[in-house]
Amino acid sequence: MSNPNAPTPDHPPTAPSAIGHPGNGHPSTDHPPTDHGGVDQVLAGAPAAVEWPPADATVVAYDVSRSFGGVVAVSNVSVAIRPGVTALLGPNGAGKSTLLRMLSGQIKPSVGRVWVAGGDPRQDGEARGRVGLVPQQDGVFERERGIDIVQMAAILSDLDNPDERARWALDLVQMDPDLERPIGSYSKGMRQRIKIAQALVHDPMVIMADEPLNGLDPKQRRQMIDLFHRLGESGKTVLVSSHVLEEVERFGSHVVVIARGRLAAQGDFREIRALMDDQPSRVRVVCHEANRVAAALINSGSLVGCAVNHPGQIEVTTTDVRRFRRELTAVCADQRFRLEEVMPLDDDLESVFRYLVGGS
Amino acid sequence: MTQLSVLYRLLVRRQLTTGRWFLFGGFGLAAMAVAWAINRSSEGAQAATDVTEFIYLFGIGLMVPVIALVLASSSLGELVEDETLVYVWHRPVARWKIAMAAWTAAASIALPFTAVPLMATAAIASGDFTSVAATGAATALAVVGYSGVFVLLGLVVRRALVWGLIYLVVWELFVSRAGTGAAKLSINTYPSSVLSRLTDIDLPLADRAMASGIIVPIAIAVAGIALAGYRLRSIDVA
Repeated sequence: MSNPNAPTPDHPPTAPSAIGHPGNGHPSTDHPPTDHGGVDQVLAGAPAAVEWPPADATVVAYDVSRSFGGVVAVSNVSVAIRPGVTALLGPNGAGKSTLLRMLSGQIKPSVGRVWVAGGDPRQDGEARGRVGLVPQQDGVFERERGIDIVQMAAILSDLDNPDERARWALDLVQMDPDLERPIGSYSKGMRQRIKIAQALVHDPMVIMADEPLNGLDPKQRRQMIDLFHRLGESGKTVLVSSHVLEEVERFGSHVVVIARGRLAAQGDFREIRALMDDQPSRVRVVCHEANRVAAALINSGSLVGCAVNHPGQIEVTTTDVRRFRRELTAVCADQRFRLEEVMPLDDDLESVFRYLVGGS
Repeated sequence: MTQLSVLYRLLVRRQLTTGRWFLFGGFGLAAMAVAWAINRSSEGAQAATDVTEFIYLFGIGLMVPVIALVLASSSLGELVEDETLVYVWHRPVARWKIAMAAWTAAASIALPFTAVPLMATAAIASGDFTSVAATGAATALAVVGYSGVFVLLGLVVRRALVWGLIYLVVWELFVSRAGTGAAKLSINTYPSSVLSRLTDIDLPLADRAMASGIIVPIAIAVAGIALAGYRLRSIDVA
């Protein structure tokens, strides 16, 4: 009889063995792991979800740490990544590349365990075969042509028509498969696209890319972001690391934030923002009779601060945006004020990132 | 193409650099120059003895190990250093295949660059077929054994070339020649024994049996490939 908790390519193990630190909110062998994916680590009092890791997670790190010599690069990180595009972000030196390298199996965690697409990527060749990796390092085999590298990847992945698959993958990244020059003569952008093509040639279930947009020009960046979006929408798990927030925001709203080697947050960054009780939200309201609206709002009780900086514009600070919106609507309806615009000022990724990283 | 052949092709293409052509060619030319000098200074049985001793000292004692070291230690070692190993390592490929491809690539380049000039050396100096054949056999066995050890060394230490040279000078050239016991732990003694047995010329500390002279270098290569495959399972590739 099969073990219902046994890991499969589609379902991560629910109770990790040989790890677990009761009391620190991480999964233990004694208790089925509960949701501790970042948000509740950062935000005390956030509600715990029912299951961790989620059943559809394809990449799971159980309490992983890694140190180099005496320096701890990543400390006690547990994350679960689901299908779709997830951005791994953090400042330079925060540990995101180390985490990505552990998740992809390139380096072994000093402590903890990784489960990717059905197994440990360091030990399980089949699991590794379901992963496409775009490594950060620039070095590619300089003397080979682009198609040679992608074909080699196809052959090493045991694909039936390596030449056909290599051409398909190069077409995805808009590279000419018949380019005769060796990679040593390629621009950085071309090398980057070869790295992406070799990662996609076997149509992997999980794609991990470490700073994949480095060296690409703006047009190529847009094309690659579109490609990653399409892959995510087709049901693949795409984990992309970047330190450029503008790029990350274009990848989507799911983020894993690493700061000083620790998990700062995980999830939809707008939801993360909504849970930051200690960081009041700023909202701009554009309306007629701003002074009267402001006076009415102050009396409503949902505000921390309120200022009329420009005629017709109120900037409010609130710890409960939803309640504020309800009260604003009620005030405007009751007193027949005309509301023109309500705009959050700090629920973008940059603000969320600044709050998370600044507070770590 | 199979996984093994595509890996072999990749590794062979990386190995053949201009600098190495000159280094290896230089060794061969030096050996043949000495052969010409032997040919001029002695003849017959004496020429065969002189050239066999020269091949023992210079060919199997220095040229083969150095060429095998340069090729085998860099075969996977360079991929570790420039972090390109990940492109191969991250694929669902058995680790022994990567190690085997590295050994095959190193040995298949080292063999023509050593066996051909050393056999030519024997032919020029003595013109004796037995001497030429024995040189070919001993060189091949030395390439097999040393390549196995140095493929592993390239995965285990950084700056494998330096460590390999230290090993060759300290152990193979000095310590192992201090006595029979130490010689048993030297790779050099086994192909040298084959050279000695086939030519019937006594060489210092080259008194192993023919069977062990053949089996031990092959066993060393198999062990080196197996351990390199094991090392690849636990290595960090970034």
